[in-house]
Amino acid sequence: MGPADERMELDSDEKIPLSTPPSARKSHTFDFEAVHFSPRAGPLKLWIRKQMKFRPLRSIYIVLLTAKINILLPFGPLAILLHYLTGKHGLVFFFSLLGITPLAERLGYATEQLAFYTGSTVGGLLNATFGNATEMIISIYALKNGMIRVVQQSLLGSILSNMLLVLGCAFFTGGIVHHEKVQVFSKAAALVNSGLLLMAVMGLMFPAVLHFTHTEVHFGKSELALSRFSSCIMLVAYASYIFFQLKVQPNLYGQISQEGAHEEDSEDEEAPEITQWEAIGWLAILTLWVSILSGYLVDAIQGASDSLHIPVAFISVILLPIVGNAAEHASAIMFAVKDKLDITLGVAIGSSTQISMFVIPFCVVFGWLMGQPMDLNFQLFETATLFVAVLVVAFMLQEGTSNYFKGLMLILCYLIVAASFFVHVDPSNDDD
Amino acid sequence: MDTKLQLSAVPHLEMGLHDGRPVLGHEDKSQLHGTDNMMHKSDFIHMSEGGSFPGVSCAGSVKMLSHGICRSIKIVLFSNKLNLLMPFGPLAILVHILTDNQGLVFFFSLLGIIPLAERLGYATEQLACYTGATVGGLLNATFGNATELIISIHALRVGMIRVVQQSLLGSILSNMLLVLGCAFFSGGLAFIKKEQVFNKSIAVVNSGLLLMAVMGLLFPAVLHYTHSEVHFGRSELALSRFSSCIMLIAYGAYLYYQLRTQDNQYEPLNEEVGQGSQNVDDDDEEPEITKCEAVLWLTVMTAWISFLSEYLVDAIDGASNTWKIPVAFISVILLPIVGNAAEHAGAVMFAMKDKLDISLGVAIGSSTQIAMFGIPFCVVVGWIIGCPMDLNFRLFETAVLFITVLVVAFLLQEGTSNYFKGLMLILCYLIVAASFFVHVDPTKDNDSTLGT
Repeated sequence: MGPADERMELDSDEKIPLSTPPSARKSHTFDFEAVHFSPRAGPLKLWIRKQMKFRPLRSIYIVLLTAKINILLPFGPLAILLHYLTGKHGLVFFFSLLGITPLAERLGYATEQLAFYTGSTVGGLLNATFGNATEMIISIYALKNGMIRVVQQSLLGSILSNMLLVLGCAFFTGGIVHHEKVQVFSKAAALVNSGLLLMAVMGLMFPAVLHFTHTEVHFGKSELALSRFSSCIMLVAYASYIFFQLKVQPNLYGQISQEGAHEEDSEDEEAPEITQWEAIGWLAILTLWVSILSGYLVDAIQGASDSLHIPVAFISVILLPIVGNAAEHASAIMFAVKDKLDITLGVAIGSSTQISMFVIPFCVVFGWLMGQPMDLNFQLFETATLFVAVLVVAFMLQEGTSNYFKGLMLILCYLIVAASFFVHVDPSNDDD
Repeated sequence: MDTKLQLSAVPHLEMGLHDGRPVLGHEDKSQLHGTDNMMHKSDFIHMSEGGSFPGVSCAGSVKMLSHGICRSIKIVLFSNKLNLLMPFGPLAILVHILTDNQGLVFFFSLLGIIPLAERLGYATEQLACYTGATVGGLLNATFGNATELIISIHALRVGMIRVVQQSLLGSILSNMLLVLGCAFFSGGLAFIKKEQVFNKSIAVVNSGLLLMAVMGLLFPAVLHYTHSEVHFGRSELALSRFSSCIMLIAYGAYLYYQLRTQDNQYEPLNEEVGQGSQNVDDDDEEPEITKCEAVLWLTVMTAWISFLSEYLVDAIDGASNTWKIPVAFISVILLPIVGNAAEHAGAVMFAMKDKLDISLGVAIGSSTQIAMFGIPFCVVVGWIIGCPMDLNFRLFETAVLFITVLVVAFLLQEGTSNYFKGLMLILCYLIVAASFFVHVDPTKDNDSTLGT
């Protein structure tokens, strides 16, 4: 297997001259390959054809079969089967949720692999845009069906789960593993993110308060216009934040693009495992697959809520994001245990910032384009929850240190939030 | 012997008693146990409590017991100037029985409870000297606000849930704003040339816990007021009970964390509980009464406070009518000011001695304790006795608490103090007090259950 790798590298070098230098990749042996190559005795054409035959297999093997989380992959098709064969929405929901989890993780992996080829700048941009692709895809699906409350609640839940649960678990496990010392992280990055989160909360609060104090110029319509305008402003803010990060602190992004949950990458090399075109191909395939499953997931939400006797709010705010963020959760904990709290913070808080400053406004704009009245009025209870959660987290982060007690506090706060949503229904009883 | 006299500060008259029989056994024991001060006292106590040492007759032991009791009473009851207010307790009971003037009953029982609260703190601190820093810290953490808890439990038993909520809220507010503000202010004036500093990390942890408590209080209130509960009125109660359990777990974890990582921090905190009395001057951890006496006094004080609280709680409504001030004002402002009077004095004293960490421990630690332990504990007690006490403190009170916690957390995050910060905190408290002076519950039932 060894020498053949190098030959393969050379060939792929010929095909993609813009990729990273061969030396970097030669050092990374593909020892999990299942195919054996005969020595280079025949003509070049034959050899290339042989390669082309095996590459998709190799690619499939790398992408699909090497991560343990992919055991959950069969749940996807199973969910589709269940949807057509039975009417059990609860099971369909559960299985599609399980089926999306590995896809989300692989999507992150493909994004990260692509980022190697495009350099740290575009890589950072890629990560910033597609880091929460799963949530975006689910939200777009729900928007298309007009389930606006589900979109709002699932995005809110994603922010809360990242800020409280993921961060809390990371701090807690890191604090217990490294309990003799106090773990530190870069205060500056945490403060910038906290500031952005507060700005997002402000953007969400004004339409809600405007609507609920009945002080709009045109009741119901002004608030939608305000939401759309605020969304554009928030997108501008997010773009400048990305620009600021990439220009002023390029190393920060180089680190973050590496963090896509890779156990194999433990030697901290930035060697990619699949080629650029493969990465793009997989990106497209996985996105498609996630889209299909999301369709069934979104359709099954209402039915699951009825059959499991739990409010739709709880499903959207707590269950959906926990599963959607499972991969980020695992990687954040892993990095905290390795005492790399900056990366953990980047995963957790960065993801929250991304959702609040990019995905939510993006959904509003997308709804605007599609004619759906998606707005930033998340209803009073959800807005208050987000406000308090952001304050608590911003306060915890401002010191720049972490210990297991802070992690435990964040986790307990998340439990309180989850319990609140367990007994929460929308006042007017219409979910969209 | 000399040490005993010095520490107990008994008047000259009693010296005779000490020069008598106790010295015999004391000298016997001293040969066996060395000259350790504590050993002398415990020897003395062993004898006074019907000890079985050879060479001491039974009749003598009874007399020693009575001497021990007298001495104990003198130490605990008569050595503190605050105890001048003690007669107001029985006076309040008399007034209650003889006249119908609820205002006076309320006022007198309030005055009567002040010295009892202070002595309770003193007894807790004395007991903590015997049990070591860890259990001492736990004792302080649990009984530090025993007065508020006792008053609250009495109010819960008669179903006055709003009074409980408002008095606990008022206790948090008074500790965070008034006590801390006075401490910062007086400390800043006393040390006007320099800026006093305190340990930031403790302040930050406490502020974080207070924010978490605010979160626990906010969700039931907002859930109820946006009419977004699954079962209107009942879900919010279930959520309150669940959140209370979570908050108690968090408080337990906080104690564990404090005791593990900051063992040395609890030594000075143990001493300062009995503030207002003179025994902290030498910064010794010398106890003044024996362990059994401390436990006994703890029980006696608790029973006495319990007894007076009943009259206090029963008189609240009448006092509100007589004096024409809202019950909210009485519960939120008057009750806690008086209940915290001893802590107040202690915090100011420590600030003026430039020991701001202890002041902060008293003020903010007490707030955290009430917010994360006292309030959830009352909810759980209410759950057990079937009283629908919940965490829904109504929007106005919740909003006030939220803003206050934010202001205080912000002022504390820097780690320094000066008289201006103290003045700002005191003025904030005046604004809060004024707000509650003109505040009634929207449905006008001040102590009812979930009807609103």
